[in-house]
Amino acid sequence: MKQAVILAAGEGQRLRPFTVNRPKVMLFIAGKPILQYVIEALAQNGIRDIVLVVGYHKEQVLDYFGSGEPFGVALTYVTQQKQLGTAHALAQAKEAIKDDFLVLPGDNLIDADTIDRFAAVAPGAVLVKKVDNPRRYGVVTLQRGNVQQIMEKPEEVASNLVSTGIYAFNRAIFDFVEPQLGLPDVVNRMLGQGHKIKALETVGAWLDAVYPWDILNLNAAILQRTRARSGGTIETGVEIKGPVSIGKGTVIRSNSYIAGPVVIGEGCEIGPSVCIFPATSIGNNTVMAPFTEIKNSAIGSDVSVGSGSIIHDSVIDNGCHIDGRFAACSGQAEIAVNHEHHLVSFGAMLGEGCRLGSSVVAQPGVIVGNYSQVRSLKLISGCLPDRSLVV
Amino acid sequence: MCGIVGYIGERQAGPILLNCLSRLEYRGYDSCGIAVAGGALQVYKDAVRVQALKERLPRRIEGKMGIGHTRWATHGEPSQVNAHPHGDCTGKIMVAHNGVLHNYQQLRQQLIKEGHKFVSETDTEVIPHLIEKYFAGDLEAAVTRALGEVKGSYAIAVLTDSVPELIAARKDSPLIIGVGDGENFIASDVPAVLDYTSRVIYLEDGDIAVVTREGVRVRSGGKAVARKSHQVTWSVEDAQKGGYEHFMLKEIHEQPKVIRDTIGAYLSAEETLAERDVLGKGDAGEILMLACGTSYHAALVGKYIMEQLFQIPVRAELASEFGFLGQSSARSQAIVITQSGETADALKAIKRLKSEGCPVTVIVNVVGSTATRLADQVLYIHAGPEISVAATKSYTAQLMALYWMALLSDRIDLRRKGSLITELRQLPGRVQQVLDDEESIAKQAAQIARYDHVFFIGRGINYPVALEGALKLTEISYIHAEGYAAGELKHGPFALLSRQAPVIAIVAPDDSYDAMLTNIKEVRARGSPVLALVTEGDEAIEEVADSVIAVPRVDPLFSPVLNTVVLQLLAYYAAKERGCPIDFPRNLAKSVTVE
Repeated sequence: MKQAVILAAGEGQRLRPFTVNRPKVMLFIAGKPILQYVIEALAQNGIRDIVLVVGYHKEQVLDYFGSGEPFGVALTYVTQQKQLGTAHALAQAKEAIKDDFLVLPGDNLIDADTIDRFAAVAPGAVLVKKVDNPRRYGVVTLQRGNVQQIMEKPEEVASNLVSTGIYAFNRAIFDFVEPQLGLPDVVNRMLGQGHKIKALETVGAWLDAVYPWDILNLNAAILQRTRARSGGTIETGVEIKGPVSIGKGTVIRSNSYIAGPVVIGEGCEIGPSVCIFPATSIGNNTVMAPFTEIKNSAIGSDVSVGSGSIIHDSVIDNGCHIDGRFAACSGQAEIAVNHEHHLVSFGAMLGEGCRLGSSVVAQPGVIVGNYSQVRSLKLISGCLPDRSLVV
Repeated sequence: MCGIVGYIGERQAGPILLNCLSRLEYRGYDSCGIAVAGGALQVYKDAVRVQALKERLPRRIEGKMGIGHTRWATHGEPSQVNAHPHGDCTGKIMVAHNGVLHNYQQLRQQLIKEGHKFVSETDTEVIPHLIEKYFAGDLEAAVTRALGEVKGSYAIAVLTDSVPELIAARKDSPLIIGVGDGENFIASDVPAVLDYTSRVIYLEDGDIAVVTREGVRVRSGGKAVARKSHQVTWSVEDAQKGGYEHFMLKEIHEQPKVIRDTIGAYLSAEETLAERDVLGKGDAGEILMLACGTSYHAALVGKYIMEQLFQIPVRAELASEFGFLGQSSARSQAIVITQSGETADALKAIKRLKSEGCPVTVIVNVVGSTATRLADQVLYIHAGPEISVAATKSYTAQLMALYWMALLSDRIDLRRKGSLITELRQLPGRVQQVLDDEESIAKQAAQIARYDHVFFIGRGINYPVALEGALKLTEISYIHAEGYAAGELKHGPFALLSRQAPVIAIVAPDDSYDAMLTNIKEVRARGSPVLALVTEGDEAIEEVADSVIAVPRVDPLFSPVLNTVVLQLLAYYAAKERGCPIDFPRNLAKSVTVE
């Protein structure tokens, strides 16, 4: 198997505001988009000829991955104009596919181990995994190692084995692909006509983000693998404990305290006297002013956080500008997304390019839409739509 | 990033190698070279682009096998001696290499001790000498032993005059074999060979391939391996453009990253740069800026930046007119801006300034270009290779260099410096916000594309932006467009305003705002449709203009960056609507190397 198709066209609507300007595959987890983990997993297994099916905000994918060369792969892009389902997405790649190939969802975070045995499997196979909450996924029933049926989000679950959405096919699949279908339907159709689909189980990582607050769990899980590395300047009096990765050109100023796992990108300016506690990732070109404390959070690129801020269990997207004394502490809250109610526990979720005045306090569980503006001394809570103005 | 190619077959290798190289220029183009074997081994190389090398070659180069290289130096000087291919002591073994060798210093010293003679400063040169050391008739064995000693990344193509075969090998740098009939190719990337064949073999890390006229043998770890050939179904441009339809759009989209890279590079070098404050210490003199085309518009923005921040006189002149000006050069400092570093008029201006004893700083993209060798000081922008004839990302990066020069100067008010640097660091995100609004800009562009005459107006620091917007639209969409300082419109061009001549107004929330509002009303009264670029939340202009494009709020000093990106997209989509050949507009060349 030397070729792979990654489905990277989807929107991830429930992840708004973070998916208003980017497809779900471009959500950043521990400093890298989810799609990069998939591409790296393939490259490490020797699969370097990759077709990317892009659609929703495809420019974000193009700008980041380009020809694929910096990632050690050769990328071919095909566009799915309307997101009509996974089989329709695959159908767009037909011309670019040579013979045997893997197909993978680009929005599930995997690593090289997840697909190591599967990379060499013969076509006609699906990668399955045991999970605790199978009802969210396609539940697979087996008979002597072969797939009997895939049931999408069943009411009653027959097993806790679910499809990872990773398949091995050859070009014969296109005889069964009908655009309106999802890939599980295509598989069921093949099974119905007597074709055999083998199931291989993986114990490797397979992580999925469905709601904005899932980003924090994924971030923490991936940060566990952080290896200490420093490409920046660390001034005297800085204390660094545990695995902390610091990118090129970043400056950590005096008296800062960083306890890993923490990943800090390139060209950032941290401190003096900033405390960063475990499971925190920071993007590129981000500035953290003195006396700020941050814990278990994912901060994007080009962000500036003013003095004396407290940020716990929060996600702050690219380009946010926060004046001093911002407080986002964790706590329980009830949130409605698409009329579903969730009891969650986190600090604040800030979309891209928000501007916050000084001494803004975020109630636990606040979700702020992209490009919102909040004046000084305001208390924010609930879900604010994009471009909100809090005065 | 560099590109390498190789050819072995029935045809003359020279022209084929040059054509393959020209397809790889997107990987870099500051120097290039080829080596061809037919009887004797001949090498032609220099610090020029492929087309220029082609023009200097003898009409006929005998030889049916050869290798080639095109380079983009990130450090060190592009020069004839450093250009690839590189040879051994005898000049009978030639190597083209893409990658970085980490242990070349030790290898070089060792080889010199053993009597080898080195001529260049490159890491690559150790490879041909190592091959020479081990070569005893079996080229593949010699290359294998040589590569066993090097550490780092490489994709190489090896040529000798004594064996009718080429060797290709890769580790951590890309390399493919193009499979033809009675001929075969080596290349860094598929587009290089697509004019000749669409069957390619993707080499894997650690592969060493022997390429002959008849076929390809690949070994990995000493064992023969089978590498299947694939049929390539996509066209030449797809890969280079990374999924985009045109280089111009790709390069417009690269701008957030270019800004981030440029600021990052400057910030991390801040301490070293501070010692050589390019604008000179406290003594108020005069600054002279010289440039041509789009770079001249960057110089004009630079004039407004520096006059506003320092309250000293800054002159911005066209480099092509400078030779005809009687007055002598600036009393304190001259800044010359040229993307390529090869613009003939800019070079001539530098020479005159130097002869008059004026210190010259150049702002340049291409490392080691002629301008960098003439100037006293060089400030590089970090835009990477720019392929589209219409300059986009290099202009934005030039602005970054100018902002940086100003912010770094001793003359800046330190109270303002901190907040301006914070704003500067946030620009990538703001530019991304403009790009995310692409669809609505494209809709406005479709309207503009219907007209044959368009006027751009701006005031203050956005007056040069009006000029640049008009230039961009003219050069790629062939719409007749003129940029004016908004106050000048009524001194003549008013006569041309009509329903058939829309006006694009660039409005920033600075001291020019009220005057712009008045100008827009005047234009509307003459019947011209007005499209206004405004800061988000500006309702006053929305009421008087026919349509608006809102840009994110930034300090007005930085508004030219965002407004220019909007106008680039506007020009791009107008040209697309009109079906123009966007990347290569008629009658225009990327760098103007004649006066």
